[in-house]
Amino acid sequence: MTRKLSYDLLAYAAFAAVIFWLVPTLYAYDGFELNTFARYLSLAIVAMALALSWGTAGLLNLGQAATFGIGSYAMAMHLKLRASDGLPDFMGWNNVDTLPWLWVPFESLTFTLLAGLLLPAAVGGIIAIFMFRARIAGVFVAVITLAFLVAFQLLVIEQQGLTGGQNGLTGLAPLNLFGWSVDTYSVGFYYLVAACLMAALTIGIYVSHSKFGLILRAIREDAERTRFFGYNVSSFETMVFCISAALAGWAGMLYTLVLEFASPTYMSVSFSLAIVIWVAVGGRESVIAAAIGAIIVNALEGRLSDVFVEGWNLMLGVTFVLVVIFMPRGLFGLVTYLAGAGSRLRQSRQDSPKTSAPIGSAPHAQGGR
Amino acid sequence: MDVLFNQLFSGLSMASILLVIALGLAIIYGSMGVINLAHGEFVMLGAYATWAMQTYFGFSILVALPFVFLAVALVGWIIELVIVRRLYRRPLDTILATWGIGIILQQAVRLGIGAESRFVKGPGILDGNVVIGNVVMSNYRIFVILFSIGVLAATWALMTKTEFGMKLRAVIQNRGISECYGIEASRVYSLTFAYGAGLAGIAGALITPLYSTIPTMGTSLVVDAFLVVIVGGLGSLIGAAAAAVMIGEVTAVFSMVMNDTLGRIAVLGCIILLIRFRPRGLFPETVRR
Repeated sequence: MTRKLSYDLLAYAAFAAVIFWLVPTLYAYDGFELNTFARYLSLAIVAMALALSWGTAGLLNLGQAATFGIGSYAMAMHLKLRASDGLPDFMGWNNVDTLPWLWVPFESLTFTLLAGLLLPAAVGGIIAIFMFRARIAGVFVAVITLAFLVAFQLLVIEQQGLTGGQNGLTGLAPLNLFGWSVDTYSVGFYYLVAACLMAALTIGIYVSHSKFGLILRAIREDAERTRFFGYNVSSFETMVFCISAALAGWAGMLYTLVLEFASPTYMSVSFSLAIVIWVAVGGRESVIAAAIGAIIVNALEGRLSDVFVEGWNLMLGVTFVLVVIFMPRGLFGLVTYLAGAGSRLRQSRQDSPKTSAPIGSAPHAQGGR
Repeated sequence: MDVLFNQLFSGLSMASILLVIALGLAIIYGSMGVINLAHGEFVMLGAYATWAMQTYFGFSILVALPFVFLAVALVGWIIELVIVRRLYRRPLDTILATWGIGIILQQAVRLGIGAESRFVKGPGILDGNVVIGNVVMSNYRIFVILFSIGVLAATWALMTKTEFGMKLRAVIQNRGISECYGIEASRVYSLTFAYGAGLAGIAGALITPLYSTIPTMGTSLVVDAFLVVIVGGLGSLIGAAAAAVMIGEVTAVFSMVMNDTLGRIAVLGCIILLIRFRPRGLFPETVRR
């Protein structure tokens, strides 16, 4: 247990060194390039949030994009109000005369930042209470969250006067963060996003190594048994859903800042499943691995989709199928398997040749969930 | 009142196409526990196969139907052999793998045929309408409804009256024991998957005159079909049929009372509630597992 924590902390330190030092150096502190990378980092946050609920507690949330979208719209609403004096322009086109009550509190930055975390958490919590009180598990969690996502996206597109409909919210002002006007193409902004990612990872590692995380893993392995031990399974599941949703909302806020608009495509089924793909590629059991998976897939997409405009999606699909079949635990599984193989090799050299090391932890044998 | 009947009728024709899609999905899920998110892409392939046959050979939809069934079933059979077979022990992972397959199929069609939408003419003999009072029913839609009832009956007969169906039911109940009795479970699974894919292909062919054929048409259909399967109760054919009709009609009525989008949202809300309170569906299978 503690040994695994030390590995995680090592990976955490290495990851921090890469994104704080190596990446900016490689891009020669060029703000434009770093803006692209900041986009990957904000997506890494939503990926690690999914890894918390899916990898740790075994709850596959296919509606992660909904909470991500709430966060991104919260930020966009604030910036839109800053950009327009009086009524935002699209409301005029939709015959909305007065600022809707839903928009009024977003004048305040503090409220926006809080809402970007707490609104998604509340929505995630309500869905979670609704599902987990009835002991819904497995595939049904995936179906309910998927249905919710579809309904939510439709609702956002339908409410044109409130959300800008299909166009989303564009023409946003730069964020004024306590006197610092955030330029998204600056090195400072990159460090802001990187710091947010590291903070999110800190929460993730803390959660997965605490007793709370242990109980979540117990629920993943056998919810019924955990219940018989006297744990209130549904409240633990609800809790992890709330945390995951809040982190997704946080990621959404940063994503709006990076791209300078919010769009209903952030809540599409394919975006939500893309998040699942990143986590699966990186490895759902570790928050750091999930974050790395998101960065790798998106960085590859950024590079390869320029070269192979048409073929990129095909490659993504093929890679993903191969990962699911041959590396069910993702890159994380591959790394731990190789490390395990290395230490077994050393051990079997030290031991007498009669007692060969037990070979029981091949990644293919375990990825059951 | 006439508006209501017209709406109910078009709801019924949508429901029957949904039924054919959901039947394939229900068989695949019910028998092997595979959640096939590529099912919508099978529908899309069926639609494109119909388009290709009409464009290059001049076949009408009615003539093309059996060929489309065989072609898409073949695609499904290959996918089962190469990919799905390896995932029977990991049901949640099948969601991910089949989504990947869906991306591949969608992009392959986009690269091979193009992203612009294609149009398929309805069959000539089914032009025209049946008019009762003020209710106008197009012959093609009536045909679709009757045909899907036929597909349901055929599937039911296949499951209960044939040797293949008996083997399939045996494998569903207990794979190990069935294999001891000499049933080749893996062969049964491949054929079942192929049959389910073929049904999706038929649905794709039927839908072409009513829907525009584009590479992304499958994504929204698969979500609906999947909800039908869950609402109906896993593995239950009658349940899938009842759920398809219900969802189709409720969507039609809600769309009339509110508007299309709000109607769909309301239906999704009802479905979520239903899954919450009856997670095993309206007509749960009472088979011992």
